[in-house]
Amino acid sequence: MKRNRQEETRRILGQVKREEFVGRTAELERVLAHASRADDTRGLLILLAPLAGVSELLRQTYDALFKKQGAAVPIYFALPAAETTPVSAAIEFLNTFLLQYVAFRRNEPALCSASLTLNDIVDVAPSADVEWIEKLVESYNEHRFGSDDRDFVRFCLSAPHRVPAGNPKPFLMFEAVHLAAYGSAQVPFDRELLRALASYQFPFALAGLRRQIVYAVECAGGTMDRFDSLHLELLKDDDARALVSSTARRHGVPINQETTDLLVQQFEGSPFFITAMLQAAGEKCVSLESYLSCERLYVDELLGGRLHRYFSAVMERIAPQPEIRRAIVRLLCEAIPQGSRTIVFETWRKRLGVSSESVEDILQKLHTEELVNWDGEIVDTERGPAPWRDYLRSRFRLDALREPRALVVAEVMASALKRAPVTITTHLRRLGHLRLREVFESFNSQLVPSVLFDYEHFSEIYRGAPPEEVATGLASDTTALRLPQVFHAASGVSFSTELRQFGEENSVIAHGFEGATYSDQNEVVWLAARVESKLEAEVELTERWLDLLEDVTRKSGFMRTQFWLISNEGFSPDAIALLKDRGAFGSSQQQFELLAERLRREASPAAGTPDEVELVLPMGSDYELIAANTVEQIARRLNFRPEAINQIKTAIVEASINAAEHSLSPDRKIYQRFRVESDKLVITVASRGIVPSNLNGYNRQSTSDTDTATDQRRGWGLKLIRTLMDEVEFERVDEGTRLRMTKFVRNGS
Amino acid sequence: MGESIKSHVRAHTVGTTAVVYAADYLNKLTGERIERECRKQLDSGCRALVIDFSDTELVNSIGISILLGIIDIAEKSGAVVVFSDVNNETVQLFEMLGLTRHVSLARNEQEAISHLSTQPALGH
Repeated sequence: MKRNRQEETRRILGQVKREEFVGRTAELERVLAHASRADDTRGLLILLAPLAGVSELLRQTYDALFKKQGAAVPIYFALPAAETTPVSAAIEFLNTFLLQYVAFRRNEPALCSASLTLNDIVDVAPSADVEWIEKLVESYNEHRFGSDDRDFVRFCLSAPHRVPAGNPKPFLMFEAVHLAAYGSAQVPFDRELLRALASYQFPFALAGLRRQIVYAVECAGGTMDRFDSLHLELLKDDDARALVSSTARRHGVPINQETTDLLVQQFEGSPFFITAMLQAAGEKCVSLESYLSCERLYVDELLGGRLHRYFSAVMERIAPQPEIRRAIVRLLCEAIPQGSRTIVFETWRKRLGVSSESVEDILQKLHTEELVNWDGEIVDTERGPAPWRDYLRSRFRLDALREPRALVVAEVMASALKRAPVTITTHLRRLGHLRLREVFESFNSQLVPSVLFDYEHFSEIYRGAPPEEVATGLASDTTALRLPQVFHAASGVSFSTELRQFGEENSVIAHGFEGATYSDQNEVVWLAARVESKLEAEVELTERWLDLLEDVTRKSGFMRTQFWLISNEGFSPDAIALLKDRGAFGSSQQQFELLAERLRREASPAAGTPDEVELVLPMGSDYELIAANTVEQIARRLNFRPEAINQIKTAIVEASINAAEHSLSPDRKIYQRFRVESDKLVITVASRGIVPSNLNGYNRQSTSDTDTATDQRRGWGLKLIRTLMDEVEFERVDEGTRLRMTKFVRNGS
Repeated sequence: MGESIKSHVRAHTVGTTAVVYAADYLNKLTGERIERECRKQLDSGCRALVIDFSDTELVNSIGISILLGIIDIAEKSGAVVVFSDVNNETVQLFEMLGLTRHVSLARNEQEAISHLSTQPALGH
């Protein structure tokens, strides 16, 4: 048993144990699943955000496949950063391929890390593989001394083709993060690689910087549609925290909750930075239990450790000549403090003093590393992670301004220390902001109690009430406000820099349409802001915000707006009067949370999957009776009383007739869905087609005595539905209409 | 509910009162059939109409709007309309849409006819 356990946990290429590999579980499963698709030769492109890290994911995949000893022979090859010629990379690939194939076939993991020549590999190959490997090596020796480098690279990359038909197929994982370094006029390595991979008759995975891979696919004349893709982003907060904890434990680094959060936020969830910092801390026996110790180590690493080496290597790949590198650093640093984040191509050419082709090459590499954004003309320099900007500034001061190193170290550290609490505060605010934006993004014409936007009314009814009472009250609240359908929500700062004074995260501007009707009259912009006040917000603060939002409205040319202020503890009586006077909504944090919860529940109704029945009926010919009979059966299961069942039946008959009135419905079908929840039956009736004009104002309850006879007749149908059911929502959807009706099961109803 | 697809409406007369039977599902089609039958009866000299709903399980708004049209026609002809044997759910719908302001309700056909015998016919 002990031996089996060792077998399971042994590492081959993986640098951490499987259980310590955190944050990429779903991605690992995805790559493993791709490896098992023997009958599908589509490649998987792993599109990597810079610093998101992919090596360990591929190594873990390798180990899992090796241990499985299944039909796929794992091959992992990482394009070396140091070997920068296509020929040397191709030789390395061939050697790695054969070595790992033989290691798998012999089930000898140790072979993977052995340093063997090709002839050595022939010697250790299992008898079933000796023949084809020997032939391949002979052929290699013939090609090796040819004069055509391109032909030789092709030969090496095509090695997987030589695996005999009856043998297990390789699953090649090619890590090409450094692909940009392999530019060569004689051998365009990226194109040769894509071409070779596309010709394989087995699945493979190609991982690289996303911009580089997309560019390489285009250069090779392919399209992304031919491949599956997996996007690797920086780690999310929870995963990054788990990585910090796990890595700190592995390296014996004392750390606490506060500094864990700091590392996660400061390095924006980059596995590379996090791991580098904790490795350094482990080697130097440094405890990371205070901001001071974290930032001290950070500056050490930035000016002379792993982070320095990383950025120096990136810069060397981008510009091998030191004087060009210095010019790039100067250009980027001088552009940043002037507040002008863009530099035109011509300025780059003049300042670097090199040919246009060389500038293009440099900018392309900077763009690939996502250190700038380059659209062919304008270079946007406000890119890259915070450590990159710190690196640039420190290099500029040391190399260009020749400032004393001690001064630079002290000031970079002071700056990092001052930034640390701001980073955490910003993070916490961003969480709040994200929630505000997320809530806006979930606005989709829902009906919600209007009291949630009216602090005065809310506090009159619910001040001091226990949560259950508030929930019950809101559930039976019939004064509803229909939210707009929001199609775009962004920080207010994106619209007006004046809002920055209150913090980037404290305002959101959301564009939407009322009633999901896409017309000028229905377009509306909601401007929302969090008012920071420990007590009820006073009138002065409220007025300041409202003035600011009005100013943004005027400058942005918004036609119809709705202001909404949210203050932790609500608003003072004077502030409430002002809000009313200006037609603005005002909510406390409690109201906001209740709204968010309600919208969340509606988006993913009820825990557990409710029973759902779907029915598609042709329009006309009394088919509504089938719907009525169906709903009767369903309602009986929910123990509705006979009277309520009849009401539901009548409502669905009316809804079906409504739907059938879409004379331009292309398929002449009515789509009905009956969702059974513990306390209610939710019925959705939808159809494709043109919305009848008399339904436009339905949600505003427009049936009136002055309607024409025909409108009145249809108004009756809608009036009946509204009277017979507990909740009714009529929505326009992209192509057609949808009516949602809810009937609650009530004792005695 | 098979009754509703029949093309004829069941009806008979008691003196100058016509009794017309609604189908199990009162919709546009069956409503228009009742309307046609009522017009025919009024044209034949009937001065009162009893529409019997004893078979009716379900009505829709179009059917109800046709009933309103029948009430209008009857009023113009100086005739009285009584609905008989309407189930509770349908009564509720009639109330919601204001029909009960224009017609009397009777528990059954007999009660309707008795009721009409005590009512003077409307003159023009």
